[in-house]
Amino acid sequence: MSRRVLYIEDNPDNMTLVQRAIEAIGLTFIGAENGTRGLEIAFSDTPDLILLDINLPDIDGYEVARRLRNSGRAELKYVPIVAVTANALRGDAEKALEAGCDVYMSKPINIRELWARVEALLSDTKS
Amino acid sequence: MTFNSSFSYFKQLECSGCHEYFDPRQLQTYCPICQSPLIALYDLETARKQLDREQISRRRQAMWRWHELLPVFDPQNVITLGEGDTPLLTLPHLGAKLGLRHLMLKDESMNPTGSFKARGLSAAISKAKELGVEKVIIPTAGNAGGAMAAYASRAGLKAHIFMPKDTPLANVLESRIAGATVILIDGLISEAAGMAGVKAREEGWFDVSTFKEPYRLEGKKVMGYELTEALGWSLPDVIVYPTGGGTGLVGIWKAIGELEALGWLENRHKPRMIAVQAEGCAPVVRAIESNAPFCDFWVGAETIASGLRVPKSFADQLILKTIRESGGTAVAVSDAAILQAQKELAIMEGVFAAPEGAATLAALITLKERQLIHPDEQILLLNTGTGLKYLEQLH
Repeated sequence: MSRRVLYIEDNPDNMTLVQRAIEAIGLTFIGAENGTRGLEIAFSDTPDLILLDINLPDIDGYEVARRLRNSGRAELKYVPIVAVTANALRGDAEKALEAGCDVYMSKPINIRELWARVEALLSDTKS
Repeated sequence: MTFNSSFSYFKQLECSGCHEYFDPRQLQTYCPICQSPLIALYDLETARKQLDREQISRRRQAMWRWHELLPVFDPQNVITLGEGDTPLLTLPHLGAKLGLRHLMLKDESMNPTGSFKARGLSAAISKAKELGVEKVIIPTAGNAGGAMAAYASRAGLKAHIFMPKDTPLANVLESRIAGATVILIDGLISEAAGMAGVKAREEGWFDVSTFKEPYRLEGKKVMGYELTEALGWSLPDVIVYPTGGGTGLVGIWKAIGELEALGWLENRHKPRMIAVQAEGCAPVVRAIESNAPFCDFWVGAETIASGLRVPKSFADQLILKTIRESGGTAVAVSDAAILQAQKELAIMEGVFAAPEGAATLAALITLKERQLIHPDEQILLLNTGTGLKYLEQLH
């Protein structure tokens, strides 16, 4: 079974673009349109990697990352999380890393970079 | 709209990532497929047959004398304030002190609005006007905002600018006096870029952020044409360039490739491109040192050289490619070294450089220590702007 990437993102254009990119490299894509739904999927499906938009309509990406890391479930404590944001305020990157994200990427997402980061993070977590 | 093919050999746009082609007669931003910068391509084969380098040299001095190799089709759309053809100075006193026999500086402070940003914005605003744009928006660390405001004003376009709140006052005032709306934000240029992108999408402003439209690169590349022409159509051994967004570095390298394709170079020995960054924001240096294919976002960027406070360039892969292809490298310098170099340039050579430009002189010491430059090499520094915009830092 191919490895699964969960993308938590409320912007449909970004969702479509990233879905195509993830599927193009043979991974299974799962989309969630807000933080609450993203957490539900993360708990039920335990993805291999999470792409996390920071500016979400319900709970922000920092809180999503914190809840995943503090869930008490080992697979969510260590799942790679890539924060993705169009930037809002000073310190976004610092806050994302403090909340438990592994990598910070700014939008627009360069697809070649996304592929490289996803592949590197997934190869690091191969058991 | 009319297209005058004899005025420009501009042919098409190519994505630097996936190499898809795009129509230059349509308004373009960056690649919609892979989100990489677009690069302008010219019909250099025809240009090689029809264009004569001496013909360009005989024209009145200014950037647009290279119009065949710039992207505007109709001369009526060229928006110019007399940018380009900045002096190439020798630095005999500093050269003697550092033991470098052929040290030079291209002084971009002589451009309209006092910086090299005039070149890129002249090209971008001209092309935007040609393609029917009426309002333009930009995130800026400073000088690009002032330049955009001036060129937009001359073109009759509305201008909106996002700047970090600690941007030098001169940049804020020069933008406002040219009629631009300036919003000061509590963040860096990366945050300003995010806000500009959102406003552009929601309200239909055309975003002229670095590399998020294809034509600022074209204006900047003319630095490469000019310095080659000034050196008798030869290239220096080393170009030391302050690197924030990286348009100038990539642009000069692009120009060298185009001159080679035109058969206009007297020597084929290409320069090593050396990127200079501040220690407080050095994503390119870190990527070069770790042999990474792209830059990591630099967390907590801080430096007095506001133009170097770019946590991650949208064109990071192009910057790294340029440095690697040229056999160059990247070095970081401290703010203290930048201020010291700024003083030395003024005291010993009479050049009041912007901190970003002074950083290139500061880098020479590191480069010498690491034996990455040699006494007999022809070394060219780029001063990107005037120190007069940064007077607060001297108090």
